[in-house]
Amino acid sequence: MSTPDEAVPQPAEVMTIATPINLILLSLFVILVYLQLRPKAPVSLPKGPPPVVFRTFTPTTLLPFNGENDAPVYLAVRGRVFDVTPGKNFYGPGGPYENFAGRDASRGLACQSFDEEMLTKDLKGPLDDLKDLDNEQLENLQSWEERFSEKYLVVGKLVAEGDPEAKNA
Amino acid sequence: MDSNPSIVAKLDAFAAELLADWNIYTTLIAGGIVAFLVFSFVTSKDSDIHPFLLARQSTAFPVRQPGETAQYRSLETPHGFPLRSGLNVKDPGAPRWTSGRKGDLRDIWKAAVRGAVGEDGKGSGKQGKIYTVLGRKAIEHSLEQVTQEINVIGSRLQSSKVNTVAVCLTDSVELLASIFAGAFYGLKTIIIPHNLDADSLSSLLKESGAEALIAEAGALDLSLVAKGNDQLSQVIWVAKLGSRHMDWNDVPEDVKGTLEVRVWHELVEEKKDLTGLDVPSWDPSTPAPSLTTVWPSKSSAGEFIEYQSENLIAGIAGIMFSLPRPQRLNPNDLVLSIDSLSRSYPLCQVMAALYSNASVALNSVAGESVDFALATVGLSPTVIIASSRTMSEYHSKFMKPHSGFVSLFSRWIQVRSLDSGYMPSHGLLNQVANVGPTAELSLDKLRLLCISHRVNAGREAQLDYEQLADLRILTGARVVYALTGPGVAGAVFQTNIFDYRRFQGSSHFGAPLSSVEVVLTGGSGDEAKQEGQITVSGPSVISRKTTLEGRARIRDDNTFELLP
Repeated sequence: MSTPDEAVPQPAEVMTIATPINLILLSLFVILVYLQLRPKAPVSLPKGPPPVVFRTFTPTTLLPFNGENDAPVYLAVRGRVFDVTPGKNFYGPGGPYENFAGRDASRGLACQSFDEEMLTKDLKGPLDDLKDLDNEQLENLQSWEERFSEKYLVVGKLVAEGDPEAKNA
Repeated sequence: MDSNPSIVAKLDAFAAELLADWNIYTTLIAGGIVAFLVFSFVTSKDSDIHPFLLARQSTAFPVRQPGETAQYRSLETPHGFPLRSGLNVKDPGAPRWTSGRKGDLRDIWKAAVRGAVGEDGKGSGKQGKIYTVLGRKAIEHSLEQVTQEINVIGSRLQSSKVNTVAVCLTDSVELLASIFAGAFYGLKTIIIPHNLDADSLSSLLKESGAEALIAEAGALDLSLVAKGNDQLSQVIWVAKLGSRHMDWNDVPEDVKGTLEVRVWHELVEEKKDLTGLDVPSWDPSTPAPSLTTVWPSKSSAGEFIEYQSENLIAGIAGIMFSLPRPQRLNPNDLVLSIDSLSRSYPLCQVMAALYSNASVALNSVAGESVDFALATVGLSPTVIIASSRTMSEYHSKFMKPHSGFVSLFSRWIQVRSLDSGYMPSHGLLNQVANVGPTAELSLDKLRLLCISHRVNAGREAQLDYEQLADLRILTGARVVYALTGPGVAGAVFQTNIFDYRRFQGSSHFGAPLSSVEVVLTGGSGDEAKQEGQITVSGPSVISRKTTLEGRARIRDDNTFELLP
């Protein structure tokens, strides 16, 4: 399109810095320098979930934590309330241990039985004192408790309804 | 199909037109861009630590008690594992798979005398040295010589049935020897700051029930000190080099008969053949005696803090392992303490240095508030231990007024490299920047500055981010900044050695050491406001748990800062 005559620069023409290509390159330069020198904010990570507050439960207030409607799954062993939500498949609704969710599971674990009658019926009454268990059953319970302490967090303690500490529940 | 070639043709024409304007300036600019890209590529460096590790520096336990924050721990000791409680000393001959002992002060001295050991258990046997810095002069002591002094003084005190010994000395090799003599010979040792007046010293001695006193010759009036201190039976004077010709055995009339006065160097001279050069052997199952220091408080001369051997060793281990492996104290280091050994942070750092076979320099003027420039002449240390007050005074007196235009420019460049996470190199730029403020200092080899802040030292002594950046740039050393509290051996928190980030205001103190666990108590209970009184528990805490008188806040990166 251009003739060869035009491509040869005129010797009389004054070289200027303000040509489009110079301006484009100059602005590119400025942008590069800015990107390189601009102050960088330190990296920050998103905040983790806030810690669960340790609570005192009574059998009644523990009941709602049975995993239904996306609630966490809690169960109590000898007065300690464990958050077993990570093991929801076992302890949550539909799992083999679902009866224990939101309840005092001590007797059931000791007797290796998942039946309804292992649970304390009277939620307003005193806690199960487990006095009638034999040595083997207590040992059983002990090993369950150890396994729970290794795997799950203790998020509260269970007291009977009339207990002085129940006021904080 | 018809329009496509025309667009291409148009673009072609446009490009041709643009390039037709190419001239000498264009070449220059293009060259500049290429040079800049090459320069920034060549000079770019990886940050010293992954930025995510600074973005969350401690871990919170997922359950908290009502009214307080969750427990926070260092990343080294996750929740559910025991906190760091000892040095993991492996005795020679013990099976490889067994875990080591916690150790105590005696193991530290033994390790220092044994010399450096490599990974394989065999070592070069390179011993560290101990220097006493007196003004511009540094006196060198070999470890054998100090072992001898430990043996002489220890057996002397043991044979005179002393159980508790008070040491009131400036930082010196004799102070160090007294501490180890106490550890080896079963004496409870009490380190009393040396600059007290006779009355408060006398009352402190009485309170401590010390039966022996090791003090500087001529610094005390014996009859004043002995008054009301009937339990005191032994006094050992430490005579300075210049005053050894004098007869210090003289006892004032009124205490003659009750006090037995001896002089350190004469005792050592007299008994050195009897006790030998070897480190005394001991049964590791017997506990080492406790070490007591005085924590300064506003109201009185101070309160006694008695560190059991296991507290002290946990604090030493916590401080030692808080540094990443390549940055830890090593046999090539010369550690200069310009902060008094009667304070637990410098004490634990010096012990850590001895255990790591580094050389140690003690300064006779060491204390909480000293002249940094004067205290560091005479030696070329690689690590300096100082207090926050010393450093902030030095910064405001010397570093600030000396900043001219050139140093401001080079500071700006070096701060940029700090902000991108790496230490500025010791280059020409650095020399230019340092021409003013640090010219008179012998800090060429300095690599680490350990600064401790006492929790009740006051706001004016606290360092801010800009001061810490200045210290890094002007000394060319990395900085760790620790918070200490009464009843916690070593420190509570310490900043990450690679944390160069800058924010507004006073600097944070980093994460808890691996020997402690921290909870902020008595806060408003508001979830968003992570603040409260610092409650520390763990093996380095006397009686396992203590609440400090300072309030702190947890920042978003899980570091702790003091609240005014």
